[in-house]
Formats: sequence, C-alpha cells, structure tokens
Amino acid sequence: MPSAGRKTVLRALLRDPMAALGLGLVTLFVAMALFAPWIAPADPIRLNVVEKFQPPSLAHLAGTDQLGRDLLSRIIYGARTALSIAITAVGLAGLAGLVLGMIAGFGPRWLDGLLVLLFDSLSSLPMIMFALAVITVMGPGTGTLILVVVLVSIPAYARLIRAQTLALAGADFIVAERAMGASGARILLRHMLPNVVGPLVILLSMDIPVVIMLEAGLSYLNLGVRPPTPSWGNILYDGYTSLRAAPYMVMIAGLPLVLSTLGFTFLGEGLRDALDPRLQGRGAR
Amino acid sequence: MTDELLAIEGLGVDLPSGGWLPSRGRPAINILSGVTLDLKRGETLGLVGESGSGKTTLARAVLGLQPISAGTLRFDGAPLESGSDFRAIRRRTALMFQDAAASLSPRMSVGEAVVEPFVIHRAPAGDRRAKALDLLAEVGLPPEMAARYPHELSGGQARRVGVARALALKPALVIADEPTAGLDVSVQAEILNLMADLKDRHGLSYLIITHNLALIRHVADRIAVLYLGRLVETGPTAEIFARPRHPYTQSLIAAEPRPDPRLRRADLAIRGEVPGILRRPTGCEFHTRCPIARDICRSTAPALHTIGTGHFARCHFPETTKKGG
Amino acid sequence: MTEAILSVENLSLRYRVPGGAVHVLRDVRLAIRPGEVLGIAGESGCGKSTLAAAMIDLTGANAERTSGAIRLRGEDILHLSADDRRRLRGAEVAMVFQDPMTAFSPVLTIGAQLVDFQFNRTGASRRDKWQAACGMLARVGISDPDHAMRRFPHEFSGGMRQRAAIAAALLMRPAVLIADEPTTALDVTMEAQIIHLLRELQADYGCAIVIVTHHLGVIAELCDRVAVMYAGQVVEEAPVDDLYHDPRHPYTQALLACDPARIEERSGRLPAIGGRLPDLRTPPPGCAFAPRCSKATARCLTDAPPRVVLGPDRSALCHEVAP
Repeated sequence: MPSAGRKTVLRALLRDPMAALGLGLVTLFVAMALFAPWIAPADPIRLNVVEKFQPPSLAHLAGTDQLGRDLLSRIIYGARTALSIAITAVGLAGLAGLVLGMIAGFGPRWLDGLLVLLFDSLSSLPMIMFALAVITVMGPGTGTLILVVVLVSIPAYARLIRAQTLALAGADFIVAERAMGASGARILLRHMLPNVVGPLVILLSMDIPVVIMLEAGLSYLNLGVRPPTPSWGNILYDGYTSLRAAPYMVMIAGLPLVLSTLGFTFLGEGLRDALDPRLQGRGAR
Repeated sequence: MTDELLAIEGLGVDLPSGGWLPSRGRPAINILSGVTLDLKRGETLGLVGESGSGKTTLARAVLGLQPISAGTLRFDGAPLESGSDFRAIRRRTALMFQDAAASLSPRMSVGEAVVEPFVIHRAPAGDRRAKALDLLAEVGLPPEMAARYPHELSGGQARRVGVARALALKPALVIADEPTAGLDVSVQAEILNLMADLKDRHGLSYLIITHNLALIRHVADRIAVLYLGRLVETGPTAEIFARPRHPYTQSLIAAEPRPDPRLRRADLAIRGEVPGILRRPTGCEFHTRCPIARDICRSTAPALHTIGTGHFARCHFPETTKKGG
Repeated sequence: MTEAILSVENLSLRYRVPGGAVHVLRDVRLAIRPGEVLGIAGESGCGKSTLAAAMIDLTGANAERTSGAIRLRGEDILHLSADDRRRLRGAEVAMVFQDPMTAFSPVLTIGAQLVDFQFNRTGASRRDKWQAACGMLARVGISDPDHAMRRFPHEFSGGMRQRAAIAAALLMRPAVLIADEPTTALDVTMEAQIIHLLRELQADYGCAIVIVTHHLGVIAELCDRVAVMYAGQVVEEAPVDDLYHDPRHPYTQALLACDPARIEERSGRLPAIGGRLPDLRTPPPGCAFAPRCSKATARCLTDAPPRVVLGPDRSALCHEVAP
C-alpha cells in the first residue's frame, strides 16, 4: 500500500470490530513472542520436580507441568516458537511465490509453462505424506518444519501472483509504461509489485494460523519442535499424556492455539475487506 | 531533414488464433493488411473507423507494442525493425489512451506520474517536483493535483494528466486513442483546444484515432478511414467530408446523427453490421453492406485508386458518388 | 392538451452517501403523453439516468425520495404495493439500457428469456409465447429469428443484443418505453440503425418513448419534445425544433454551441463551457448554472430561478429569459 493508503487501511481495520479484535489478538501474541524473556515469570525449561502438576495458583498463574515447569512461561515462550516458525515459513514461501509468480506471469511463455508445471506437480503431492517423507529423510526439527511448509505453500502463492500479474500485463497503465520505454524491471518492481502484494499479504496472514496448527500437530506427534524447547504442540502433548493428573494442562495449552488462529484469521479477513478497492471507495465518494 | 515523420508501408498484423503451445495448421487471424500511410511533421492525421477496424492495433504496431507480420515502418527516416529501434524512439513518441485514468499507475501520485518519462529515460529534469508542477500548469491543472491519485481524478482531469505525461519529453509524435471518449461535450473542447495549443507551441504531430467524425473534422488535416483492417480511403479532411469517394466513408458520414431536427433522414444510410474478423468477406471487404456492390466486388479486392493529390480510395467504382453522401 | 400517461411531479430525490446526501433530482416536473417521443438531454451527473430509473421505480437502495410523485395514468406508483409495482414494470413501463449485455442472463438462450418475459400473459400457451417472441425478433430486424431464439446472448453482436433488448421491452406492449443511452455503446452505423428502428416501432406500436442521452444528434433525429437537465433540474423544456433553432436557456445555448457537429467553420479550436458542475451535496441557493453563465447577474447567484413559461410546451428555469 502506498503511504497515503496506510492510515485509511488501519482506520478501516479498526472500524470493523472483528478485524479490530483480530488485530488486538495478533498484537498480543507478537508482543508475547518478542518480550518473552521479560514477561515470562519463570524459566520455561528449568525443571522443578517437587512442584509438578500444580494447578493454577498465584505462584504459577497457569500451573505447572509433569516436570514442574511453569506453564505460563512455557506458553509465552511457545508463542515465540510458534510465531517464529510460522512467520519465517510463510514469509519465505510468500517471497518465493511472489518472485516465481511474477516471473511466470511476466516472463516468456515457455518459462511460464515450465513454472506452472512445477507448481502443479508440487501441489499434487499429498501434504501429510510429503511432510512425513521429508521428516524421515531430514529428521524432525524446526528447519525441516519450515522447509515442508515452504515447499507445500509456494504453489498457491505463486499461482495467485501469476494470475494477478497476467491480468495486469494487459492493463492500460502497463502498456502505457511500455510505450514510454520503461524497462521490464521497472514495470515489474515499480508498477506490478505494489498492485499484486495486497492480495498476497491477506493470504499470508490467513495462512499463519494454518502453519501454527501444523507446527503444533507435528510437535504433538514428536515430529516437529524437539523438547525441551517449549512449543504449544509439545505442551498439548504433555497435557494429553498427563490428562488424568492435570486436566487443566490441555485447556491451557489449547487456548493460545485457538486464540491465535482466530486472531490471524480475523485480521486476514479484515485486511481483505479494508484493502478491497471496491469497498475502499465507500468513504471517498 | 525530411518533411515526413512517420511512414507506414504495407503494414500487416496477424494474431495467432489462441492456444499456448505452438500449433500447426491453425490459421492466424488477420487484423491489418496492406496499410500504407504517412504522417508529415506538424500534421494531424485522423484515423477513423468503427470497432474492429484495427485502428488501435495500428497505433500499437507503429510504436512496436504489437508485433507486425508484414510491411515496414520508418520514423524520421530511420527504419523501425528491431526492439532496439523502437526503444530508441520512445523518447520522441507518446501514446495517449482512450481510458486516461486506467493508463495511470493506480498507486502512483499524479506528480510522480507526469515526471515518470524523465525517470525512465534518465533525462535531466532539474528539480523533479518543480518540473511536475510546470507540466501540470502547462495543461491547466493546479499544483495541488500533484498529490492526488488516479482514482481521485475526474474524467477531464485524468485526460489532462495524460496529456501532461505524453508531452513531458517534448515528443515529435503523439498518438492519441479516442482522446475525448467518455467526456462531456462541454469538456471535450477543453482537451482538444489544449492539444491544439500544445501542438502549436511545440510543433507536434498527432495521430488521432477516433470514431467521432464530427470531432475529427475540426482537428485533422488529413483523414484515413479503416474498415476491417484495410485502409479504404485517405485524403485531406475538407475534401473527404465534401466529397467522400468510398461508399463506406459516405455511409459513415451520412450515418452520423445530426443535431438538427430539420435534417432528419428518412432512409437508412447503411444496413447490416461489420462482419466478424473471422468471417472476412471475399473480394472487397465492404461488399456485404455496400449499396453499389457489383459482381466484381464480391470476387476481386479493389486496388487503391488515386482520386486527387493525396486522396486515395480502395474501391472498384470510386467515381460513383452516391447523392447526398 | 392530451392527458399525460406518465408524469413526474415535483420529484426530489437524493442519494445517501457517507457524511450527507447528494441531491440528484430537485423538483423535477415532466409529463409524457401517449405516443410521443420525449428526449431527456444532459451531461454526466445531471441526474438524467436517475430520473429514468425513477420513472420505472428502479432507483438504488440508497436513493430516497424527499418529495413529489410519479403517476402512471394518474396513480402514484410509489404508493402501490411492491407486487403491483413489480407487475407494472415490463407490462406498462419497460426499459432498455445502455449496455444490452446486462438485459439478458448469460446462461439462458435468448428465446427462453423472451418467453419468460411474457409471464403475465396468463392465457397464452408456451407455443404462443414462443411465436410472439419470434415475431418480435423479426420485427426488430433480426434475420432468421427461429435460429436467433436458440442462441445465447454472448453469441450476439452488440447491435443484435440491443435489438433483442428492444424486442424484450416491447413484448408486453408497454405504454411507455424508457431507453437510457440506447446507442451510446454502439458504433455509428449501428446507432443510425437503432434510431431508425425505434422510430419505426414507435410509429407501429404507438407507445410513448423516453430517450435519455447526452448525444444531441440522437435527440434531434428521434424526439418530438426535449427536456434539458442540469444539476438535477429540468432547465429547459421545448418542442424539438424550437430547442435546436431557438434555445432559450443559457445552458442549452452553451451546450449546443459546443457540439462540434453543429459548427460549420473549421478552426481547430472549439468552444467549451468553462467552470465545473456544482457540488450537489450542498446545492447552491441560486441558479445552479449561474457560475458558468455569461448572462448571470447578482440575483442569479442568490435567488432560485423561476420557471418561465415561454409558450405552449415551452419553459425555461432562468431569471434572465424573457417570456
């Protein structure tokens, strides 16, 4: 968005109660992730077996787990894990999709055909099987997780960008740039890029919770983030195995998953409405 | 230095008929063929035709935005063959679009848009902001317009921005596609007068593409009439309007509704529709609608006949001027 | 004077917009008599399309009538029930739009739609309706109507679609046909044919036609009477010959003077009307045209202009015009 539009987008977001809620939740989780060392009341990996399975109390606002670790601190550090993985993975995939999609849409036809073939083959892989196969080969871990997400998400992003780019290529203002003698690079970067990133940003923000869930799911299966690094999936797994001893753990671990998913989804939907030029005109005319 | 700025000779444009993979046997669609036309320095040439006549394609082909399949182009004496030839003339040519607002990058302010030609061609513009305001002033727009975005402009304002940008580098040739389409009559004159003033001031040549005969009569020195991708008549404006020789030109002029109820026509000037480009008639393209068509018109394509100095018509019977045309 | 079939009485209408309302129609009075062709002329933003939509009760959801009535045979259509109003549309008053593509659904054949349009011909069989539709297509100049009935709208050219749209509008033999810029999207040779067709159909069916257009040539070719609109008001009303040969309102005069088709002398320069349209969110207290008018005096800017009757069927909304 151009600088002129930024303020109006924010205003449009805040006008929509659901979008404002989403923005609030996302801000909360981002703050948790960024300032974890300062806001977490305890060390998330320090064991204290004496204090295991403590229900929520003033000392441990969210209780402790089977190893006596402070759950609230683990949740806060878990936000760090979840968001850093989700944002890195979605960001890398988005960037790759943006570049490949623009090349496909603006480049020569043979290259477009080749890239589309690549996208189609990538997205024809069954996601779960593919993820398990990559994990088997590379071993579980944060890097593997990110790689899987990036490979699986690129086609959708690239297709979106390619379609946008193709539609723009015939637009009058692009022909006008060509007629003025603008270079291909200038047309792509100065004129096409700002017009295609909007929809991508929306899609990315709505995909972040998907990745958070995926990370939690794989970590739950012990195929994602390795313990003792706190991850919402790990906490959920721990809670599940200790369901009888400490039923509150599952709920406490599930809550941030649900809230962050809702937050990013609401924000994405709000962004979609705020950035839609047809809706944007409401106030202007 | 010659008198001739742009020379188009035997120009043809074919479009591949769809399909992504290279195909055999699929015929190309012929859009333009055998178009020979020239534009002199300081002249305004009106290119007239209905939709599907290929007039916009012709404009884009001249600027190298549309690959050509036959013929030659010359600009200021130098042939235009390769991409680099066209790039070399970009500074000296400009294109104005039918939809002026759509031809402006939606996320670029008016101020940025009008100085973009300087940026693209790394031309010294001094202070860019001052230059932008100069250009806006030249087309009669107040300085505060520089901060506006294309969707905030009225039709007339967008037009003026289009003119400012076209003239930024003081080109020799401006191609204007329907420069007043969608404008109210009271505003269209402002744009045309502006274009005329700038032409006088900077010695421009215009190629104006339009279907609006009433308007082109006032601005063009010469007129070229296209029908289904063929040049059917070309000549001095006054002569064409006084004595059109091609039956299509005659029908076009006669069909124009006249803003005077005393001049109502009882009969129809022309029947039928322009045949689809895929169903191009044999012989003379116009024979399916021509009031004077004979057998030869259905079988043989007519040659361009010389009527007078600079006046040509592609018709087997160019002397048979219909009465009241 | 014959009784009006459709009359617009002191109609004021506004569109609600964020932060206020745009007063698109201001005290518009207009009568359409049976069998006449009335032209509504004006430039963009003058309210002519809103007026046309109001006549068939098709204004948008954000439109609000603040005063006035629209009477069909004397009855205010805005006081009818929703069902009665719907029944009126098509049967009594029909409309043809600028873009003929929008008149038809893209997924049904032309024939199916022309048969459907006759839904309130209860006595007729499907076969009768098909025949009627075919006959109407032939009447509007579509060759091989049987074949055309089985085609989809996208298979028609723009001119054929507009013919079919006119056929659809006339199927129910409406008393009034409203055509909003019916030739604007067409090429000039097709425009001439549609004008010719409308003239023939009017003579055959005797329905009243309202042509809304910015094109003064179309009005001159087709209309009996003309209403010129500016900034939501009818500023001049006159028989067509008077309007073109003795325009009285300064706006009408300026508009005619701008039309390149009316200027014989070729000079490379054309007259324009300087200035801009007033902002109709806050309509000016005086004459809306005064800031652009060469004859304007002080009172034009402050006092609302009177409607000056200039003769039978002639009036102008102006301080400076003499009866």
